[in-house]
Amino acid sequence: MKEFIKKISGVRWVSSLLFLIALFVITGIVNPTFFSYSNIIACFNNSCVFMLLAIGISFTIMTGEIDVSIGAVMGLTAAISGVIAQQNGSWLPMLGWAVLVGAVTGLVNGIGVAVLKVPSLIFTLGTCGVVRGIVYIYTGGRTIENFSGSFTRFGNSTVGNTGIGVFFLMMIVIVAVLAVLLNTRRGKYFLAVGDNIGGAVLVGIPATRVKFFAYILSGIFAGISGIVFASKYGQITIIAGNGYEMSAVAACVLGGISLSGGLGNVIGAAIGGVIMSSISRLLVFLGFSSDYDNTITGVMLIAIVVIDALTQQRAIENARRERLLARAAVSGQ
Amino acid sequence: MHSDGKQKLLVVKGTTKAFGQNRVLKGVDIAVDRGEVLALIGGNGAGKSTLMKIIMGIYQPDGGQIFIDGKEVQMTNPAVALAEGVYMVPQEPMLFPNMNVLENITMGFKESTLSLRNRLVKIMSEIGWKMDLSRKASTLSIAEQTLVEILRGLLRNSKILILDEPTSALTFDEVEAFFKVVRDLKSRGIGIIYITHRLAEVFDIATHVAIMRDGQITLEGPVANFTREMLVQGLLPPDATHEAELKENTTKIDYTHLKPIFELQNLSGYGFQDISLKVYPGEILGIAGVVGAGRTELVSTIFGRDKVLSGKVILDGKDITGKKTRDILEAGIDYVPEDRHLHGLFKISSVAANTTSALLKDSVMGKLLLNKRQENRITDKYISDFRIKTMDREELAGSLSGGNQQKVVISRALSTKPKLVIMDEPTRGIDAAARGDVYSIIHHLREDGVAVLLVSSDMEEIMELCDRTVTVFQGHINGEFSGNEINQDNLTAASFGLVNNE
Repeated sequence: MKEFIKKISGVRWVSSLLFLIALFVITGIVNPTFFSYSNIIACFNNSCVFMLLAIGISFTIMTGEIDVSIGAVMGLTAAISGVIAQQNGSWLPMLGWAVLVGAVTGLVNGIGVAVLKVPSLIFTLGTCGVVRGIVYIYTGGRTIENFSGSFTRFGNSTVGNTGIGVFFLMMIVIVAVLAVLLNTRRGKYFLAVGDNIGGAVLVGIPATRVKFFAYILSGIFAGISGIVFASKYGQITIIAGNGYEMSAVAACVLGGISLSGGLGNVIGAAIGGVIMSSISRLLVFLGFSSDYDNTITGVMLIAIVVIDALTQQRAIENARRERLLARAAVSGQ
Repeated sequence: MHSDGKQKLLVVKGTTKAFGQNRVLKGVDIAVDRGEVLALIGGNGAGKSTLMKIIMGIYQPDGGQIFIDGKEVQMTNPAVALAEGVYMVPQEPMLFPNMNVLENITMGFKESTLSLRNRLVKIMSEIGWKMDLSRKASTLSIAEQTLVEILRGLLRNSKILILDEPTSALTFDEVEAFFKVVRDLKSRGIGIIYITHRLAEVFDIATHVAIMRDGQITLEGPVANFTREMLVQGLLPPDATHEAELKENTTKIDYTHLKPIFELQNLSGYGFQDISLKVYPGEILGIAGVVGAGRTELVSTIFGRDKVLSGKVILDGKDITGKKTRDILEAGIDYVPEDRHLHGLFKISSVAANTTSALLKDSVMGKLLLNKRQENRITDKYISDFRIKTMDREELAGSLSGGNQQKVVISRALSTKPKLVIMDEPTRGIDAAARGDVYSIIHHLREDGVAVLLVSSDMEEIMELCDRTVTVFQGHINGEFSGNEINQDNLTAASFGLVNNE
């Protein structure tokens, strides 16, 4: 049992899950009306967009890079899905476009970062601008709304009487599949590249290809999140997805994925996504205006990144000092 | 030449490589057979690392061939080299710090984890190594990390192992244990290329030796054919004039009337214990020892970079124990660090900006705006005094050669007119001519009455320069020598912990 506790507490996403539960409990203590099944399940049901974005970007973060173009990609595929939904189109073309837009953006990012070795923040900031521009051109600046009923109804439908959203159920399946895949030896390439790229190359891991693949995955997940966004909210403004990349990064960090790469798990990203999307709801129950949303998220993000950096530095420094002390002590006697 | 060369395990023929105008390899031939350990020695910049990276497929050569078991192989990328049974253990072990030992070793294989694990356990029991496979790599010592790297190679059934200065960060005991491992590997018929800077290791462990200088092999053959002196000759440039006469010209210090300018009293910190020493004005005190003995930790602690655990640091009668680096600079100590790239040079600033950067707080450089004329005057003085080879003072410091970069870093240290200068391996990786210049700079300092604390692993450097020398072994001072006592035998014995004076 002790072994089990030790092992489980070493898994980073477990602390994220505990953090999420703590948030729920605190909110419930301050405002007992929060403690209802429908409130809590709604937190999960509404998290699908952030979960998809966070899972996607977690691949690039694991490899030690970043992708800030995902918000724009989401905005574009949401607009495309919206237009298809207006014409009462089916899911298939939406999915096709989402994957295409995501993959192409990912490809461009991959060329820039993995092949041309441009710093990833700068390069993806550039693609972000380009894609955001395409959204304006594509929509002509108009808000896209009045979708066919079935489209929005599906986005908010639940499984039987359980209250569990269809999208959320799909998310659980996706996360489970990815978690298993990432635990295979090839799946671990992402973490290996982020942990020590030089070492990865030396043991024969195709580091460039891995980064490329991470960007394509990041793009595709962002693309798919656009469909979910359109279906859930039924209205796409031209700024849809603006700033979502920051929330996705925050979700990853909250989920225990190290921004310096090499550490983390998609389960953590998914839990982080739930935390990020729940905060505005929790704030309402805590009696804050939703105007505080961004500020509080920002503070939380900074706090966690600082704690993470400090504990890591400390661990490294302590290990170094211990080694040095041991070395000097050998001949002390 | 190698008429039977085609049958050998690894043959490298006529390899050339240039980076831009810089011809790093000028037609290199080496060969290793099963059960052989080829010691490859040579100074920094001789081209050893480039050659190894070509063998590993990380760089592509401009010309030349590589044969493995007589078959020509195009090493287009590391995966090809790995498949051909070549594995390189880099100088800095390249582990994944966030993964455990097992994951680190099995990363990059296509086999199932279970069968890999079984094979690994078998290999480890065969050679008698014990290691907890579930430990995180970030908790391993450097020696353990090197073992993990070797296990990676063995698990790939590598026939050829390249070990790049594997002992440079190991303690004395670890080196002994490591040599046992190399002997094991040798007896298993593995061919090893062993890169080292330590001549003693060549006779301990190698069967063959090759010396590389300036992109060429200058000497090669079975170790038994050579003496230590012959190897040293092979390393020296053909026109090397020994600067030993410098030492003859310098005067002996009369200690009777001198008061120490700098003193350590029972100083302990991370990596060293109970260090006491005195340095007098105009004296060069050597701190000898092997890498990892705690010397760099000692001097960087004196300079305020790490915590003092106990004891005292006294400069010119004032207690400066545990002060911040800025205050220690102010008090009159300057430090020329071991790694000039990491801790010394501002690479993308000009030579002038580098030289005067330690003076920026000083009003010499202008009260509010930077006094450019003053900057130029100071820089020109050092450029001519130290013979810094630069196009002009505005050239970027990063584009100078290693020796000239080092002179810039020393200039900066001296521009503040310190009472004590600490130099950590001041001539590592710089060529013979620049080394001579650095030596004469140090002699000038001595004549100006500046005290110098010289940390060096190069025994000849210590012998050449120092008035007195202490040796550090595993964090303790275990010997002090002056005058004629400073010789290779005494220093080597003490550095490796063999001292008779109790």
